Amino acid sequence: MNLEKVIFGFFVILALSLNLSFFIGRIDEPAHHDVITFFLVVVVNIIATGLKLGDRSQIGALLLATSLVADILLIAAAIIWTFAVHVSDAGMVASTMAIIVSLAGGALVANIVSVATVVGETLMLRR
Amino acid sequence: MPYSTDPHRVTFIVLRYMRKPILVLVSVYAISMVGWVVIPGVNVEGKPEPLSFFHAFYFLTYTATTTGFGEIPYSFSDAQRMWSIISLYAGVVAWLYAVGSIIRLLQNPHFRYALAERHFARFVARIREPFVILCGFGNTGSLLARGLSDAGVTAVVIDKDIDRISALQLRDYRVAMPGICANARVPVVLTDAGLMRPNCKAIVALTGDEEVNLKIAVSARLLNPAVQVITQSTSEAHEEAIATLGSDVHIVDPFQTYARYLGATIDNPSIYVLNRWLVGDKGANLDAVPKLPRGKWILCGYGRMGRRIQQALENLRIETTIIDPGILQTDDSLPNFFRSRASQTTLREAGIAQATGIVAGTDDDAYNLSILLNARALNPNIFMIVRQELHMNERLFSVAGAQLIMQPNLVSARRILFELIAPLLKPFFERVRASRIDGDDGFLRQVFEELRENVGSNAVPRLWTIHIDDQSAPAVHSVIETAGEVTLRDIFRNPNEREQRLACVALVVRSGDDIRVMPDRNHRLSNGDQILLCGHDKDLHLLEATLNNEYTLNYLITGADQPRGYVMQWVTRRLNGSQPMAT
Repeated sequence: MNLEKVIFGFFVILALSLNLSFFIGRIDEPAHHDVITFFLVVVVNIIATGLKLGDRSQIGALLLATSLVADILLIAAAIIWTFAVHVSDAGMVASTMAIIVSLAGGALVANIVSVATVVGETLMLRR
Repeated sequence: MPYSTDPHRVTFIVLRYMRKPILVLVSVYAISMVGWVVIPGVNVEGKPEPLSFFHAFYFLTYTATTTGFGEIPYSFSDAQRMWSIISLYAGVVAWLYAVGSIIRLLQNPHFRYALAERHFARFVARIREPFVILCGFGNTGSLLARGLSDAGVTAVVIDKDIDRISALQLRDYRVAMPGICANARVPVVLTDAGLMRPNCKAIVALTGDEEVNLKIAVSARLLNPAVQVITQSTSEAHEEAIATLGSDVHIVDPFQTYARYLGATIDNPSIYVLNRWLVGDKGANLDAVPKLPRGKWILCGYGRMGRRIQQALENLRIETTIIDPGILQTDDSLPNFFRSRASQTTLREAGIAQATGIVAGTDDDAYNLSILLNARALNPNIFMIVRQELHMNERLFSVAGAQLIMQPNLVSARRILFELIAPLLKPFFERVRASRIDGDDGFLRQVFEELRENVGSNAVPRLWTIHIDDQSAPAVHSVIETAGEVTLRDIFRNPNEREQRLACVALVVRSGDDIRVMPDRNHRLSNGDQILLCGHDKDLHLLEATLNNEYTLNYLITGADQPRGYVMQWVTRRLNGSQPMAT
């Protein structure tokens, strides 16, 4: 057992799980999508990205790339959320929520790729 | 046949050939059109109006394709109808003439040759991987091409016999093997075949003609000094001329190579088995080394090869009886010499019933096979060595039941193939042969044991040369750069199970001028080394991954996974105190 693998696996899978729990619900219903869950999703994703920095192997590069995709989508969603609540006069409406949740859906795909890669790499080494 | 590399040659030929038909066609069209424009017609309002140039051309166009749309734009006057009869017949004749000329051009052998030549030159120019030029696609050439294809190396083939090039195009090679029917004596042919290209690694001259081989070697040396030259030669005068060309020229004398191989094989059949096993010959098995019986031998065929075999047998103090129709008078003074063809009668006379071995070594395959059949009928337990001249008879020889099959062409082809794809095999076989001459059998036994244990007796091995540099083994390169130590034992560990080793063996390690055959497992690698490996395909893939991934390599060396990310590296450093961690 390897401490780095434990920590790394924990954050990567946690990012996926939180992402899914935020994503679930009717896409345009603000009551189904919790702001605190969303905050955790963003934070855990960024931590996972940080853990991936510095790996010089090919798989490390792929993992970093998927993580960056998820980060960009989630940060875009966060900016839209902030804009809707604080800047726009209409506040959080159904159509804005749909955009945010669909962006989180995109990040979910990136996270699935990330977890699949980590699991695949671990299974490849039968030790 | 005149030769030129002008890329516009084909276009030029077409234009020159089509000059007359095009002139005829243009004249017929021009005269017809002028007629149409001059001859009066009548328009809808009943006013006289001839066709315009546009309508005249339109009419000629749709009638030329036999698409009669009718009389457009207005119904023709009778004068116009008369002119249309004339212009249509003239047009049909002009078109038939033009089309006929094109068809004749396409059937012209010179034109087809020019087309093939252009296709070939373009194809060669598009090759990106390293390739070899092969001049002469005879027996040895086609065996070599097959070996190169198995090793994934493209060969550009030149042969002056069109039948051989047609044969080449019908083979099922794994890589592209473009071929051209041309005379390799002409330097332009060689440049068309890519001699001057940077990815041309070697040129092999296997034409049956010594003079042509010499010319190819000289041309190659002058046109591209960086290219490796391998030529086949049997005459000393030519060998001397070729040898003066420089260092990277290899001369393969098929008779000498074959004779040496034959001598070594009779001396020690395990060399024969090892050779076959290394090239992945079907049915080669390290455990099945035939044992040469020491009794009386019969030798059929006493030419250049036969003499060599007799010499080898004599060295082993084996008594031989020779059967040969013989041309030299001096042969009669030899003991046990039968001047005759080997038939049932002469075989019986030569004492086949008491003999323990027979060599069918004439240069005629059918004759050799008949000797085998006769010998087996007279003495079922006899040990048989047979010479096979033509590769196409392979199936017959494989069922004939001889213990050793010697193919002179195959021996030469393999020798050249090894020179091209695994040059380090040469010192390996030199060492193997030397070990026998010194009477020290231990080395050969060690080679067999290592291969048997780590790769398997009846495995199909792959030969692979690795270069320790930042291109093909970046992980090893960087570990050595940071003053780390990498041994063969380390890289041979199995990434999935560190205590196990991969099924491969290092045959030769070369660092600079220092060449080590069967290096020790603790041999330290240094940058710039070349290692010749032999092993299973699957294991060599795992090894390749290790050479490229420094985390795997570090794990194999130390037995512990190192932190990969910056965060974990920092955490590990803190946990281990102030000790700096190597990354």
